[in-house]
Amino acid sequence: MNHRRDGILRGEGLRRLSPPPARLKAGPVVVIECVESIPCNPCVQACPKGAIIIEGDINNTPTVDYDKCNGCGLCISACPGLAIFVVDASRSDGVGVVVLPYEYAPLPEKGEIVSALNREGEAVCDALVVRVINTKALDRTPLVSIEVPVEHVMAVRHFRRRGDRS
Amino acid sequence: MKDDVIICRCEDVSYGEIVEAIDSGLTTLEELKRVLRTGMGPCQGRTCSRLIARIITERIGGEVADMKPLLDRPPTMPVEIGILAGASDED
Amino acid sequence: MRLTQHPILEFDRGREIEFEFDGRKLLGFEGESIAAALHANGIRVFRESIKRKRPRGFFCAIGRCSSCLMTVDGIPNIMTCVTPLKEDMKVETQRGKGAILLTESFSPGSRPTEARRGAKDVATVSLAIVGAGPAGLSAAAYAGRMGVETIVIDENDVPGGQLIKQTHMFFGSREHYAQIRGIDIGDELIANLSGLPVKLMLGTTVLGLYPDRTLSLLANRRHIELRADAVILATGASENMLAFENCDLPGVYGAGAVQTLMNVHGVVPGKRVLMVGAGNIGLIVAYQLLQAGVDVAAVIDAAPEVGGYHVHAAKIRRAGVPILTSHTVQRVTGPDRVESAEICRVDDHWQPVPGSERTLSVDTVCLAVGLTPNCELAFQMGCRETYVAELGGPVAAHDPDLETSISGVFIAGDASGIEEASTAMIEGRLAGLAAAELLCREVDREELKRLRSEATSSLKTLRAGPFGATAREGKRKMFKVGS
Ligand SMILES: Cc1cc2nc3c(=O)[nH]c(=O)nc-3n(C[C@H](O)[C@H](O)[C@H](O)COP(=O)(O)OP(=O)(O)OC[C@H]3O[C@@H](n4cnc5c(N)ncnc54)[C@H](O)[C@@H]3O)c2cc1C
Ligand code: FES
Repeated sequence: MNHRRDGILRGEGLRRLSPPPARLKAGPVVVIECVESIPCNPCVQACPKGAIIIEGDINNTPTVDYDKCNGCGLCISACPGLAIFVVDASRSDGVGVVVLPYEYAPLPEKGEIVSALNREGEAVCDALVVRVINTKALDRTPLVSIEVPVEHVMAVRHFRRRGDRS
Repeated sequence: MKDDVIICRCEDVSYGEIVEAIDSGLTTLEELKRVLRTGMGPCQGRTCSRLIARIITERIGGEVADMKPLLDRPPTMPVEIGILAGASDED
Repeated sequence: MRLTQHPILEFDRGREIEFEFDGRKLLGFEGESIAAALHANGIRVFRESIKRKRPRGFFCAIGRCSSCLMTVDGIPNIMTCVTPLKEDMKVETQRGKGAILLTESFSPGSRPTEARRGAKDVATVSLAIVGAGPAGLSAAAYAGRMGVETIVIDENDVPGGQLIKQTHMFFGSREHYAQIRGIDIGDELIANLSGLPVKLMLGTTVLGLYPDRTLSLLANRRHIELRADAVILATGASENMLAFENCDLPGVYGAGAVQTLMNVHGVVPGKRVLMVGAGNIGLIVAYQLLQAGVDVAAVIDAAPEVGGYHVHAAKIRRAGVPILTSHTVQRVTGPDRVESAEICRVDDHWQPVPGSERTLSVDTVCLAVGLTPNCELAFQMGCRETYVAELGGPVAAHDPDLETSISGVFIAGDASGIEEASTAMIEGRLAGLAAAELLCREVDREELKRLRSEATSSLKTLRAGPFGATAREGKRKMFKVGS
């Protein structure tokens, strides 16, 4: 089904924006879920490595130079669409990390167990909150890092705190 | 649509009343306003004019684009008469 | 219910005070709107409609629809959504019509031109700008920097127009204030005015505009006349209504109204909301409801596809909110306020599919079904009207410099066609520059030319993508008919 029908990216559209499998295994890397031509480019300026490229017109979608990206995550809170994530599938213990923008209050605490959600808002697995950053530079778009089983790093895009309503 | 759906909130005019008036030969916003008071209340037709224009085209055909809009007259907001007559608090 | 925590906003509430509602003592905050204070106390029914005695609450929350009229301190027909709360105010449910209001015209039956104005205070200015939203403030900055003495008039007590309730970051590139939240862009636009010959006149409503470019203003219950050599109308847009069974029931609110209540006053509209409209506004307000801790039952749209950006849709989908395209709302029910909503699927001809009805238990239905440009002032004055569906319907004809059919009268921003804040700002610039060219004899032509071509190319870029197609087509039609 087309993402314009219900707002969910799937299939080919999703595959096209995934980093190559080898790059996923090599360390943290950005995933930009921005598939439409909208006039927008803050992500390009946010990247200190020059890894995000929008060619020509600012209406074009960004592409990532995966060799340059080191998964620093500085672009995540710069994206007005909250469409940028960093995933790390490089560890050998079967645990992966997803770093996501989280503009809700209250923020979770480090060490908290939350319910990890996919693009449809369905619970996928439990997740452990390992890092919460909310500095002034992030301008009220805090970053939360959660640990999930590595096979879920490309599925998990949000989480729900245990006490919150579903 | 059900007849009792309220289209003009200010003057409490329903879909049924508007359809009846259109079927009786009133086919412009201005005519309907004079008879039903639609668009004559304090909101000046801001809420209902578009809906009524649609209903007219549904009943008699034509395009909303070709419909003559209501004549806009000042004031754009409800005001107490006294203020415009020059009376203010200090008077 | 009042918001106590919010991820983006901090609410700077005034002094807590007592007021009276139908004889009951309630608490509210000084300066918030009466409607917000009532809502915070769980009161949604404000009046009884004039003939059928149906319960009514607010709808637009910006003083446009007159749904919220109540009797305040003995005076009927007070617009409670824009009237600030004061200590010991006596607010009463209004029954019937209340006293006579002047709404039809200054002297019934006459053309506006002949109307008696009779203000005591008369002022003059070179350029008058109506509306202190992104379009008006940008127009002022550009006219001001070319040396034009300017007054910007807005009915609100704070400048910024729609921006003051937009907590999300804007798109675009740096020159369009991308990555900055709407609420913060207004501050930057105001800062741009410092040192310029620009004055802001807030809390002032423009009631009328006459062919000799005289504006009739209402400020603090005083009637003022302002004569201007040129006028820029940057009055924004009003929300469209949707008709369905019981659509006038309290709890059916415009999306902008919900945003105002939530993001300006820190009061949530209800516990569970159905959002009607999956354009950017519906999607963004749904997200903002989630941020305020309100449950969103679904976002529905009669169109077969989501109208807004995928990134806005994705934010609410991953939070578990269903987006149901090809769906519409058929009725809401409840004794005196919304308690449930019935939705159904629609077929390719927009007709309800029998048997597909579903009832959602919601206390609020939020309508985000489009906007109509606010062109009344232009039309009153006699500017030529056109109808361009792509721009939002009836709009004052204008040329690429945003000048209407009447020389020296410009229209910019949402008032000249529904788009976005980014394009509104640039249209404002162009209108400001065109006004400066008209008004100043010794204007720096080179600078003017440079600024104009910069703005024109910026506008072109913003409208270049698929989401700009509607506006692009609308403006093309507009400029073809010319002014
Ligand atoms: C929920 C929502 C989300 C949005 N998100 C975005 C976004 O992400 N990016 C983007 O670019 N755009 C966005 N927009 C659109 C953007 O807000 C508008 O396009 C923009 O505000 C239009 O600017 P404007 O100056 O034309 O009008 P407005 O901002 O509406 O300002 C008009 C002003 O004029 C005043 N006024 C009107 N009539 C009178 C009168 N008679 N007398 C005195 N004052 C008067 C009004 O009170 C108002 O303050 C969004 C809009 C909404 C509702
Ligand atoms: S005028 Fe107050 S709600 Fe519309």
